[in-house]
Amino acid sequence: MRLRNLIISAIVAAGVSTPVFAQQTLTVAIVGEPNTLDPMASTKDLVSIVTQHFYETLYTFNSSWEVVPLLAKNMPQISDDGKTYRIALRQGVTFHDGSDMDSADVAASLQRWLKVASRGKGVADRVDSVIAEDAYTLVINLNQAYAPLLSLLAFSNSAAAVYPEEILGDTLKATIGTGPYKLASHKPDQYIQLTRFEGYKSRTEASDGGSGARTQVADEIRFIPVADASTRVEGLLSGQFDFADGLPTEAIDRIEQSDKAEPVLLRPFGWPILAFNHKDGLLVNRDVRLAVQAAISPQDMLYAAFGDERFFVADGALYPKGWVWNSESGTKAYGEADASKAAKYLKSAKYDGTELRILTSHQYEFHFKMAEVAKVYLEAAGFNVKLDVVDWATLGQRRNNPELWDIYITHSPFLPEPSLTSMYHASSRLGWSNPQKDGVLAAFNSTSDPAKRVELFKDLQRLVFEQAGFIKIGGFNALMGKRKGLTGISKTPWPYFWNAKSL
Amino acid sequence: MTKYLFNRLIGMLIVVFMVLSIAFIIVRLAPGDPAALLVGPDATAEDAAQLRERLGLNQSISIQYLTFIGNALQGDLGNSIFFNQKVTTILASRAEPTIFLALFSLIIAISIALPIGIYSAYRRAGWVDQGAISTAMLAASVPSFLTGLLFQRFFATDLGWFPASGYGAPDADFLTRMHHLVLPAIVLGIVNSALILRFSRASMLDVLSEDYVRTARAKGMTEWRVVMRHALKNALIPIVTIIGLTFALLVSGAVVTERVFNIPGMGNLVVSAVLRRDYPVIQGTLIVVAVLYIVINLLVDLLYLAIDRRVKY
Repeated sequence: MRLRNLIISAIVAAGVSTPVFAQQTLTVAIVGEPNTLDPMASTKDLVSIVTQHFYETLYTFNSSWEVVPLLAKNMPQISDDGKTYRIALRQGVTFHDGSDMDSADVAASLQRWLKVASRGKGVADRVDSVIAEDAYTLVINLNQAYAPLLSLLAFSNSAAAVYPEEILGDTLKATIGTGPYKLASHKPDQYIQLTRFEGYKSRTEASDGGSGARTQVADEIRFIPVADASTRVEGLLSGQFDFADGLPTEAIDRIEQSDKAEPVLLRPFGWPILAFNHKDGLLVNRDVRLAVQAAISPQDMLYAAFGDERFFVADGALYPKGWVWNSESGTKAYGEADASKAAKYLKSAKYDGTELRILTSHQYEFHFKMAEVAKVYLEAAGFNVKLDVVDWATLGQRRNNPELWDIYITHSPFLPEPSLTSMYHASSRLGWSNPQKDGVLAAFNSTSDPAKRVELFKDLQRLVFEQAGFIKIGGFNALMGKRKGLTGISKTPWPYFWNAKSL
Repeated sequence: MTKYLFNRLIGMLIVVFMVLSIAFIIVRLAPGDPAALLVGPDATAEDAAQLRERLGLNQSISIQYLTFIGNALQGDLGNSIFFNQKVTTILASRAEPTIFLALFSLIIAISIALPIGIYSAYRRAGWVDQGAISTAMLAASVPSFLTGLLFQRFFATDLGWFPASGYGAPDADFLTRMHHLVLPAIVLGIVNSALILRFSRASMLDVLSEDYVRTARAKGMTEWRVVMRHALKNALIPIVTIIGLTFALLVSGAVVTERVFNIPGMGNLVVSAVLRRDYPVIQGTLIVVAVLYIVINLLVDLLYLAIDRRVKY
């Protein structure tokens, strides 16, 4: 009798504990722990990837990387002189704490952005004021026209995110945004758990990239920091993760053959760069920079770094084909690998055999491999090359001191607007500055006519080659992976999951 | 005995103080800037400098040292630069996975090593002995990351018996969390069994050739009694020492295995902290490890008393 009761109660309990609707949880392996959940405080891609799910910006990008409204009602009214932006806000948008978003919140957030965010600080001296004109209208007054402003307001990296005024401070007092998901719990190095924000007001246009409806299909999104790349691969293949970012290229065959997962190839993802020191040392001399440009073989560097032509393209244009910024202006100087031409430049620069210091690290193995190949070509042209191989934390410190390096190797995703790339700016750590280039850049930044901007960018690209401002080594693709049948994930360097659903 | 314990305690305090100081100095001798990492690749040198100022990293080293020692004496190990949380809170949250992983691995290692070690010594040069020695050599020589990756691929990805990595979802119960530890524990158990096996075999070999073992046999005792009661008991001291050290090593140094299996434990924490130049966390971990070694050594020494009545302090 007792046993029967026990069995019956066990069956009842089992029945009760089975949910009527299966919860849909999306588990995403990311490459590490974001050091902050405040997107203004860091320019790391990892921070953007996570925080864009709970913080939103006034504008965002659609799949063609055009700026489109998000928290703003529509595109801004811009005065004829390009100095005044009048932005109408969407009404009825609420924060995760239930409070209403109004222009006071947006103005306070933007003022904080201008003060604390790297990208905000970069435009702060052009901004006279940010004013809440009425409850749902915001006015930004500039002291000079600045065309990239909207892209900056749309970008999720060092983002002009909108917070409730009450949580603002040097560091945020809480994690409260307007995004489709809200932070449920966070255990550093273990998980960041997001749950659907039931009060979310989605836009109603069709989803296209970051624009339009955010449908919140999954009930929960869990970001799992997994530092080891092969662990991310095994987690994806074993079905533990629905999506995994930053996978090693050699894993593609296994992922293709898997019955649980499929590869996501972001083509192209970004560009490896030789960043030149224009402030101090050998490369202040233009002829020496041109010698480096003439000497190296980007093709061989890319091949050594990525090993498989599915993962790179040897292309000098600063933006890949298909982008409005793409052109062949100046690219004749790309990839010459001409040691005698380089030697001539060195001769005219009266090069005396001073060490050319290339700063790189093993953090990104492809950086190191490219440095090794570059060294061989540079030595063939007569350079005396020293590779400074340090860890990433040391590289981050040393490249801030112009006395310690001539070249460092880095990479960047292709950013939606050229001005978002800091290397063009005289104030960057490269310090590339002269009247000719600064003039073209200033014109590019202040012109609002899109066609004129495209022409000006061609001039800028030509100068990158003529003056060897820095070297774009080529384009490379990124490998990610997802569970078979998972749809609704746009291919972007900063993947988001509010429209992701399993079949 | 009381005097012995008192002396040990004084010694402990001196060692901990030295570790505090050395940890402080070593982490600051390494180049690298935590602030430059935090602000990200597109931030300027000025952004990093401002953050350094806010984090108090611009203060002179001597002031930072005195603050650190002063706080440490009150049990405060400072705030993590990366997490903006108390170091003690972070260390406490990493203790559970590491301690359970170490315990499981140790149990596995002992269950493999001790019986085989004893039997190998008893049947010296037999096929079990030779097989065990070669296997132990192999287990000790293959790096644990390789064993880890192979096990992960075979048992998690291909067979699906165990989770590939991690320590369970946010809602995971205790058993699920432990399920995540099985594979890494087996890997660590195998790797660490090699040393215990070799020590128990060597120690047993020494004892088995002693006169009193022959005497015990001459008295007509059963082989089981001779080996387990007379020989093993006397062979235990080096074995217990090595087991104690292995446990300390597992708690402080399962770095690679924790990394491969993405276990949020102390080993994983210290690697990340070094890469992030999170000085307070590195210091905190080093201190915990030092204290752990001291305590385990003390416990092992006290255990000698129980094992061998001839030992007196």
